Amino acid sequence: MTEWLDDFLWRAVIAGLIMVAIAAPMGCLMVWQRLAFLGDTLGHAAVMGVGLGLMLQLKPIFGVLAVALVIVFSLSRVSSFNNALSETTLAIISHTGLAGGIILVSLLPSPTVNLEAILFGDLLATTKGDLLSLLLTTVLLLLLLRHHWRAFVAVSVSREIAQAEGIEVRRVQFLMYIMIALLVAVMMKVMGVLLIAAMLVIPTTSARVFSRSPEQMVCISGLYGLAALGGGITSSFHFDWQTGPAIVISATVLLLLTLVVTRVVKPDLD
Amino acid sequence: MAIELLLRARDISYSRGKRLILDRISFELRRAQITTIIGPNGAGKSTLTNIVNGLIGNYSGAIERGPDLRIGYLPQKVYVNRLMPLSVERMLRLTRVSSDAEIEQALAQSEVGYLQQRQVHSLSEGELKRVLLARTTLGNPDLIVLDEPTAGVDVSGEVRMYQLIGELRDQLQCAVLLVSHDLHLVMSQTDQVLCLNQHLCCSGLPESVSRHPEYLALFGPQVSDSIAVYAHHHDHVHDISGEAGAHHHD
Repeated sequence: MTEWLDDFLWRAVIAGLIMVAIAAPMGCLMVWQRLAFLGDTLGHAAVMGVGLGLMLQLKPIFGVLAVALVIVFSLSRVSSFNNALSETTLAIISHTGLAGGIILVSLLPSPTVNLEAILFGDLLATTKGDLLSLLLTTVLLLLLLRHHWRAFVAVSVSREIAQAEGIEVRRVQFLMYIMIALLVAVMMKVMGVLLIAAMLVIPTTSARVFSRSPEQMVCISGLYGLAALGGGITSSFHFDWQTGPAIVISATVLLLLTLVVTRVVKPDLD
Repeated sequence: MAIELLLRARDISYSRGKRLILDRISFELRRAQITTIIGPNGAGKSTLTNIVNGLIGNYSGAIERGPDLRIGYLPQKVYVNRLMPLSVERMLRLTRVSSDAEIEQALAQSEVGYLQQRQVHSLSEGELKRVLLARTTLGNPDLIVLDEPTAGVDVSGEVRMYQLIGELRDQLQCAVLLVSHDLHLVMSQTDQVLCLNQHLCCSGLPESVSRHPEYLALFGPQVSDSIAVYAHHHDHVHDISGEAGAHHHD
């Protein structure tokens, strides 16, 4: 029944589709709550996780998850109710994690790991095991999103109003951090640690142009993600580009087209 | 007093670091009464409202709330991220389920029914305040907490805003806790004034507070005089842009 999964191209397509399905809602929430940079930070620091995982002879994804969770736990201790995460703190964590990770990985005996695949993703090398962990994590995240959607949107609009009207803002925020850590751990395989945030931000920004409601923005950004995925996999296949970067460039081309077309057709669209 | 007690604050103190922000504040909020907190900048007005509506938890003293006290809250500043597409209608449904009829009624009460389909980030400051006022009235609140509801609104819009708050109180029979720094504008709508400057300088009916020596020391006699200016009968209405209808000052 799953013979078609033996084809690496099908596995890549499925992995990409799953990623788009979860990147759209998570990306929107992260953009609304100004957490896109946190995604980037966890992505960069994930290299450290990969190094640690390999040193302890674990699967890299567990190392990544462990490092991401340690970071979000620490951040939730230092961030106060009113203050967003400080850019400086995030930049320090991000680059220390990346630098430390690269050194760790270079200490390992050379054939164990392909640094390029970690940094930029290797969608075409997706295994059945990768697919399964991607699928399970995505289903878990989608269920959490569905269950807490109203609270997530309310916190995105105003933390004060949400808290005064009975939403436990700190708990919602902490849950969001944990979910971002999970997201980064699974998206790493597809996009590579350096490019994760691109898939959370670029389709979302294109979608904003046409959206009148939060849910609409999630759906439209899913469509943009889909188109970027299609463009990326196709160009990767035809021109032998790396898939992750090809997807990002497709997303950016779509964003530019959208901006140009809307300026020309409807200059007063806000 | 026979009027239902909704909330009692007893000896509320709050410090941030070594700085004492609030010093043993006690007061009561009762149904259908408007309580106005006035005080200079840094007096602890917003801190006190945040303690009342549960945003700040680590205070000393006690807040006794009636069972299932429902609070509607209008914060001093709401900044909606432009990357967030959000209609006014959706803004009203942020934390609870409301029927279309309830939404329409709430917006109409605050005289902003025409904004229902507009995007929140396209509203002017004054329009946004009215929309936020409308949201506080949804879901039958027992208490609405308004932190400087007229900040960013011009003076004539401000007068109308305070009249609206009085009307809402009459219709909803809820308690209102209002933060303001201009007693003269809110005076006619207020049942109880708390004059705050870290400690409670004085409290009571607006007329008595406005003659209290501690109030005069804080705000000066000029402010007290200006109350008289606003005591005249005001029989014309201002729309939201501040343009008055027919004037008949007598």
